[in-house]
Amino acid sequence: MRHGFRMSVGAQPGAVREVSAAFTELAEGHGLSADVRRSINVALDELLTNAHSHGQTGSDVDSMTVEVKLDQESVTVILTDDGMPFNPFGLDTPDTTLSVEERPIGGLGIHLVNQLMDQVSYERRDGHNVVVLVKQLVNG
Amino acid sequence: MQISTRTSNDVHIVSIAGSLDSGTSPEAQKSLDTVLTSAKNVVLDFSELDYISSAGLRVLLGVAKKLRASGGKLGMFGLNQSVREVFDISGFSSILPVYQSEAEALA
Repeated sequence: MRHGFRMSVGAQPGAVREVSAAFTELAEGHGLSADVRRSINVALDELLTNAHSHGQTGSDVDSMTVEVKLDQESVTVILTDDGMPFNPFGLDTPDTTLSVEERPIGGLGIHLVNQLMDQVSYERRDGHNVVVLVKQLVNG
Repeated sequence: MQISTRTSNDVHIVSIAGSLDSGTSPEAQKSLDTVLTSAKNVVLDFSELDYISSAGLRVLLGVAKKLRASGGKLGMFGLNQSVREVFDISGFSSILPVYQSEAEALA
């Protein structure tokens, strides 16, 4: 049996909180582990804020559709927007070995998403950016 | 997110509860900046912190840089498994002083 939700959010700061609240409710209703819930909350925060700061050139990303699907084995998150083509996973991996003084502020978000999720993908489909994240519910 | 501050000797212990993400980071930044105007030594209590994203890490990095510049000391404790995982992935575990307990952070 499949469960989940689909919602459209605007490009305003409260959007992440809205999505995060909906996801937390779903996660708690289905007894997802705190670890899985937190990882997905982090990924949602990174990608929703990333889309708003990078997708703005030319055509505004004024809304994004977030779809979350839950089945026995995994949680799938699909983020769709109609902004300029932008592959969030096409960036260089930041240097995480630098000291406090040398480290530039920022640049870590996508690296976190890559590491916290089991699968990430991007495609440009029918004029939309489509990002898919998969987190397995059982480790191993 | 809720932030509360207490002091133990000359150490300011700042407890951050809830999530430290893009939505809550500006407020956390403001509170910590206020603490930093008078605090030399700061310990962050994460025992009630649910999760942290890169926006939260950015705030912590700023605090670490300011304290290092002013010759103050920083410590943190109470990280749950998810927060620790984010620290490990980002390399923050090796640049920020993470302790097992409050007593150890204050020692």
